[in-house]
Amino acid sequence: MDLSRPETTARNDRAPWLTLKTREMLEAWLFVSPTVIGFLIFFLGPLVAVVYFSMTEWNLLSQKATFVGLDNFNDTLFKNPDFWHVVRNSVVFAIGLVPLNMALALTLALALSRPFFGVVFFRTVFFAPVITSAIAWAIVWKFLLQGEGGVINQMLALVGITGPNWLREPNWAMAAVIVTRVIKMVGLNMILYIAALQAVPRDYEEAARLEGASRWQVFTMVIWPLLAPTTLVILVITTIGSFKVFDHIYQMTGGGPENGTLVLAFYIYQQGFKFFNVGYAAALAMIMFVIVMALTLIQVWIRRRGTQ
Amino acid sequence: MTRRQIDIIYRTCWTLALLIVAIPFVFPFLWMVSAGFKSTTEIFGTPSLLPRVWRYENFIEVFTYQPFARQYFNSLYIAIAVTVLTLIISSLAGYALARMRFAGAGLLMLFLVSALMVPEEVTIIPNFFLIRSLGLIDTHWPLILLPTFGPHGVMATFLMRQYFLALPRELEDAGRMDGLSRIGIWWRIALPMSRPALAAVAIITFLFSWNLFLEPLIFLSSLEMFTLPLALSNFNDSYGLPLWNLQLAATTLAVLPILIVYLIAQRQITESFALSGVKG
Amino acid sequence: MADVVLKDIRKQFGATEIIRGVDLTVDEGEFAVFVGPSGCGKSTLLRMISGLEDVSSGELHIGGRRMNDVQAAKRGVGMVFQSYALYPHLNVRDNMGFGLKVRKVPVDERDRRVREAAATLKLDALLDRYPRQLSGGQRQRVAIGRAIVGSPDVFLFDEPLSNLDAELRVHMRSEIAALHNRLKTTMIYVTHDQIEAMTLADKIVVLRDGLVEQIGSPRDLYEKPNNVFVAQFIGSPRMNLLPAAEAKLISPTHALPASAVSVGVRPEHLRVVEPTTDSLSATVTLNEYTGAVTLMHVELPGGQTCLVVDDKRDMPPIGTRIGLTADKDNLHFFDADGRAVS
Repeated sequence: MDLSRPETTARNDRAPWLTLKTREMLEAWLFVSPTVIGFLIFFLGPLVAVVYFSMTEWNLLSQKATFVGLDNFNDTLFKNPDFWHVVRNSVVFAIGLVPLNMALALTLALALSRPFFGVVFFRTVFFAPVITSAIAWAIVWKFLLQGEGGVINQMLALVGITGPNWLREPNWAMAAVIVTRVIKMVGLNMILYIAALQAVPRDYEEAARLEGASRWQVFTMVIWPLLAPTTLVILVITTIGSFKVFDHIYQMTGGGPENGTLVLAFYIYQQGFKFFNVGYAAALAMIMFVIVMALTLIQVWIRRRGTQ
Repeated sequence: MTRRQIDIIYRTCWTLALLIVAIPFVFPFLWMVSAGFKSTTEIFGTPSLLPRVWRYENFIEVFTYQPFARQYFNSLYIAIAVTVLTLIISSLAGYALARMRFAGAGLLMLFLVSALMVPEEVTIIPNFFLIRSLGLIDTHWPLILLPTFGPHGVMATFLMRQYFLALPRELEDAGRMDGLSRIGIWWRIALPMSRPALAAVAIITFLFSWNLFLEPLIFLSSLEMFTLPLALSNFNDSYGLPLWNLQLAATTLAVLPILIVYLIAQRQITESFALSGVKG
Repeated sequence: MADVVLKDIRKQFGATEIIRGVDLTVDEGEFAVFVGPSGCGKSTLLRMISGLEDVSSGELHIGGRRMNDVQAAKRGVGMVFQSYALYPHLNVRDNMGFGLKVRKVPVDERDRRVREAAATLKLDALLDRYPRQLSGGQRQRVAIGRAIVGSPDVFLFDEPLSNLDAELRVHMRSEIAALHNRLKTTMIYVTHDQIEAMTLADKIVVLRDGLVEQIGSPRDLYEKPNNVFVAQFIGSPRMNLLPAAEAKLISPTHALPASAVSVGVRPEHLRVVEPTTDSLSATVTLNEYTGAVTLMHVELPGGQTCLVVDDKRDMPPIGTRIGLTADKDNLHFFDADGRAVS
């Protein structure tokens, strides 16, 4: 065939006005520009602003921000019993939720990581609340947990137990919020554990079994150590998630009764958007920022130490 | 007993235990639907899973009590807008971060990783003033912009980047030799090969927007602008007490379509979450 | 048709220099092969010529034109990839025509040229198939066909045969040689396989650690390697390397160059003789019979091992003391830095 046609490969003899390297760089920045612009406007800017806000006094009375340095943290926050009450609630919520969630997630994952009749059904059921709106979930549970005439209490009455007025007593309300939150979110950790378990090579387990290990020994000595990285990730994201819980609390208890379920995220909303204590709410947001950052850095640190 | 019999008993016990654990996961959905059909008096009577009288009127009243159809539409179109925007923006940035060499890439990665660590709740106060100063209070703009550019969008970017990194590079090289521009390679080669990742991002983004609550609560004030979760929490009488049957009927209408789609595409949806969870 | 000229080409990724100053000319119509161990930079060099990697410093000219900053698609080069890189969602016809389509060549022209290339490569019957429906050899041919339809001035091959099985590799190798004979276009071919290099090349470029070790015809490299690396890289099995003092024993008539510290002799050039004082004495440790030839492993008194290739069927059994000699023309001498001396 004739190959001497010069027009066939598009060539132009103008010298290129950009070097290849510069061209690639310009193209790349064009690709990331929406992300970068959005990041600056809706993330970095607000993040800097919240640091500033947290050092101002700014509320309905003052109408404008006055710089007060670290006073928000010193006086209004750390010397405020309400704040410590909220911290206590948040910690109780996390301590109640995280172990329960993880233990249940791991148990379900162990039961559902191998195929058997009904495995798809169970996985579907346990994950269904995850995709459901937290508001919807909270509405239904609030309905079920009413004191008088509530479905749960009526059922308890059938077996002779007088149920408490769940959402009207601080301690019961906290327990109820924790348990319903676990039921809603446990499916997510379950599938993360299932994915991790399915990635464990069958050989390890079979080798251990050949050496005479029992099922329990196989779990504690082979599987559990191999799951450690997954457990770390799940532990951190679940803990962070527990400090961020908002819509669930908003709909089920509104922070009550007697502020018994008033947790950090809800408190930020309340102070910032109901009472318009902007400076104070920003200081609270900073506390949340520090908590989340600390948890993440601990995770990074442990993981780095593990790989060395 | 033979080995086989032990095995059968063992399995039966597990299945029974799982069935018991499953009750609090299934029960609320069943009760939600049934109570949505009950009258106010029956709701507070002796509980029974099936209504004695099926009150279909509840589902009509839902639409007259609030502009529920409008609210439903709001949620739908906002979720679609957020999903489409996130797909485009995250796959563009994810592609550049995976495949292109440019000054500042390392720094940008670092910034984006740090954005993953900061929850929306931290920046929501300044963002409120930003949106207010732009005159966008009680519009849908903040509900589209904040999720797209927030931590969720960053997570989507990393998910896309991870996927692009694993694609065969020579196919893109061939595209360049054939004369495709960068945008052409992204659109005609990289994206068609990334359907699983795009599907995962689409699924989790849609659900993220559909279930979003804090932002609508803060930015919206008129009923016609409400999204579904906000509308659901708003079925109260003049004393602020919930109108249970209407609220549960509305909740049923909001939850059931998602649940049905989930039942059909269960595997795909759970895998999408597994993917995002591992990256997050 | 065009020549390719590289002047002091360098490539850095961050602080590491992958290509450390390469000067090279590939003449018009020549078949040049870049060969070297993995990590030597041969693929990077090819990608720089193609335009897929930018040139950090130096000058790259194709057909007399400076190409440093010209985009890949505008350099008039066609490339065949290791993994073939066929678009999975396009059939053979569309794969081959894709570049022309992007360049907005009219449909009938495009169609004609795809058919011509398909005829050249005997792909006519496969035009409507998808890549997944093709065998490895067929995919390879489509990948070549895609490069041909663009009528490039220079063909670039990036280890195109490494994904094929041994038999098909030999077959495709001869097809590529035939293609070069027919098209007479400049071709640059990257491989780590020195047999491919020897059989295909007009000119071989041996690379190591981002530097050219030697450029020359296959015969040059085999007969007159510049240094120990090239001597041992080209030729299979690889050249034996012994202390220079042994040279006298192997070939008594040869005068030893003053600066020589080692002597190289290829296994196929060693002859087995009765052990005498003017031959190199050795003990047989292993015989590997392959059919056509036998590989005999021997141990020298100094403890070094040495390989002998012989086409005799009956080799001395293990443990036998033998003598080794070679013609003086087949000895290669190297100095302390590994450079060839004569």
